Amino acid sequence: MTTYLVVGAGPSGLGCAVALAQGTGARVVLIDRIPVTGGETGWDEPHVRQLTARAEAAGVALRLGALAVRWQDRRLLLISPMGVERLPGDHLFYAGGRRPATQADLGITGQRPAGVLPATVVEHLLTSGVALWQRPLIIGNDIWAAPLAAELRHRGSTVLGLGDADWADERFPDGRVEVLGTHRVEGVRVHTGADTVGITCDGIVLAADARPNRNVDGALFDDADGVTFVQSLTVVGAVERAADGAAVARAWIHSQGESA
Amino acid sequence: MSPRSDYDVLIIGGGVLGTAVAERLARTETRVGLVEAENDVAEHASKGNAGVAVSYYGAPGTLETQLINTSAPLWEEVCARLDVPYRRIGGVMVALDAAEAERLEHTHQEVLACGVAVQALDARQVLAREPLVTPHAVAGLLLPDEGIVDPMRLTAAYARLAATNGCDFRFAERVVGIERDSDEVLAVITPTSRLTARFIVNAAGVGAAGISRIAGGEPLVSRPRKGQYAVVDRAFGQRLSSIVFCTHLPDTKGTNVVPTTHGSVLLGPTAQDIEDPDDRATDAETIESVVDRAARLVPEVRDAYIMKTFAANRPAGDEQHRLRFDTKVPNLLHCTDRSAGVSISPAAADYTLGLLREAGLDAPDRPSAQRVLPPVPRLRTSEHPERLIAENPSSGMVVCACEQVSSAEIEAALTGPVPATSVEGVRKRTGAGYGRCQGSLCLAGISFMTAMNTGTDPATVMHTTRGTVGS
Repeated sequence: MTTYLVVGAGPSGLGCAVALAQGTGARVVLIDRIPVTGGETGWDEPHVRQLTARAEAAGVALRLGALAVRWQDRRLLLISPMGVERLPGDHLFYAGGRRPATQADLGITGQRPAGVLPATVVEHLLTSGVALWQRPLIIGNDIWAAPLAAELRHRGSTVLGLGDADWADERFPDGRVEVLGTHRVEGVRVHTGADTVGITCDGIVLAADARPNRNVDGALFDDADGVTFVQSLTVVGAVERAADGAAVARAWIHSQGESA
Repeated sequence: MSPRSDYDVLIIGGGVLGTAVAERLARTETRVGLVEAENDVAEHASKGNAGVAVSYYGAPGTLETQLINTSAPLWEEVCARLDVPYRRIGGVMVALDAAEAERLEHTHQEVLACGVAVQALDARQVLAREPLVTPHAVAGLLLPDEGIVDPMRLTAAYARLAATNGCDFRFAERVVGIERDSDEVLAVITPTSRLTARFIVNAAGVGAAGISRIAGGEPLVSRPRKGQYAVVDRAFGQRLSSIVFCTHLPDTKGTNVVPTTHGSVLLGPTAQDIEDPDDRATDAETIESVVDRAARLVPEVRDAYIMKTFAANRPAGDEQHRLRFDTKVPNLLHCTDRSAGVSISPAAADYTLGLLREAGLDAPDRPSAQRVLPPVPRLRTSEHPERLIAENPSSGMVVCACEQVSSAEIEAALTGPVPATSVEGVRKRTGAGYGRCQGSLCLAGISFMTAMNTGTDPATVMHTTRGTVGS
């Protein structure tokens, strides 16, 4: 029997798994590193609950709390506190979500002091009640930026932004960023062509240019063998991401029909 | 032996040389202590270097070459004993034109004179040995005994075994003064302590000249030489089988392409003499030149994914290496090297002990001392992850997905002798957060684990050794 593996049980992966189960007679296994569905959207989001119920009704097998590590020879290596599994699969659908661009991705240079954090980490720390910074600079304006700006402002911070950052309390020209400060972040210089602007800040949030989050060996690059990536970088919202995941699955089913 | 001293030997500096000496001395009947200005070992040069355990580094007949020759065959044994990753993968030095081929021939003769294994390669043999090298290579040298080591794990392991055997580590204690009794050093002063010792080992790296100055010793020269690096993703690194060196220039070793034990590849370093040891800033122009120069050796690095760029300062000065007593202060022993600290560390530790014994330190070896660090099970490199997880389910709980670092490994780094006390300390000991997402997924979790183990609030937990995550 044909088996399809879907890695990532956020809305995209759920949508993809449901469409595969309903559109083919295959066995579908949905895998996630954390022990609940929902991914970055969260398990208790109503649409996630609904999708999870639909996946179970469609016969999707949930394999939660296990990390996919390697895809090789049509087997997916899973690691969990329960042990090691090598799941056979005919095709892998990878829905690993997105992450903000790193300092290297953005060509950020200068010192490497404490207080430069990816937006996903800042979200996590704030949710856990960790107090962060008086004058944070949010670099970039991807999906994380506006909500984090609101949250930081709500906790009393003055939020700085670059370029078209309309959520910022203070806006500065966009450009290539150089970090200052030997122990903690003390500021940045922004190089904009001929000009250089100095900004004082005590923390930096990396919230630019979403990248596909990929860390399964053998499923890293777009041309990986036997892998379809379900990683829209622009679609926002649980309903929309689930629809996108389903669309990727249907397109793939359609392409299989044509090649058969 | 003066019973009134706090220590027989007090080492200043928790870099690779200071900790290697501490580990060796702690296996003798010596009361040994180590003071470090930062709040962890392996900061500065011991953190920011290429991790090459060289077989050849310079002219024959020098003490440095003698120590490299002695250390080179020991690496497998040393790293097995210390639970440190090491691989003897060999190095290919590449000449790109006729002028470089001529200099390479000079290097060839020098390597032979050092008594080190080497083989001349023609253009075809260079590519056969390392297919990723540019087809424009005209000649090469194979140095089969070159190896790669994790310099942070090495330093942390020296420290952990030293502490296990009784070495007293004192962190965040910058030496601010040194008391003398006639010619000799009597005590080292830090902001919180006065520490007396019979012998002082100056292993302060870039800070060595400052230590000598306040001790009333010789006027040494040690200044920071900044090196900038770019780190290339493991997906590319797994295709590269050897270290690729450029032909040595007369004044510098140049920019190389070096696989790491993590599987990533380091491009660098550059060499820039600077004034401020805290200046560890990268700049766009230099990083671009690093990639350009690396791509002349291995063209495909230009399209490979760069995960991170960084800079670190190695100690430059008027002497390439300095393992000897001060000529003015008889109980002050200098122990620094320009940039081969990692490579000489196994032999330098024995050599330093020898110098101290000659000077009257009564330090017989202690047969009961522990020689081996119990290995920490590492998920990514384990051949039998099933067994690991069966023994400890935390080994199957992956915190850093990119580098496949388990919660058990992080726990081990945060506990035991000389533990990590910061998120950066965890990274140095485990590689967590070092991968392609640079901690986007795992840094919050690592911050919480660090806070829990250090008894701090997550907002004030240390991120680097000097700055907190939040607040």
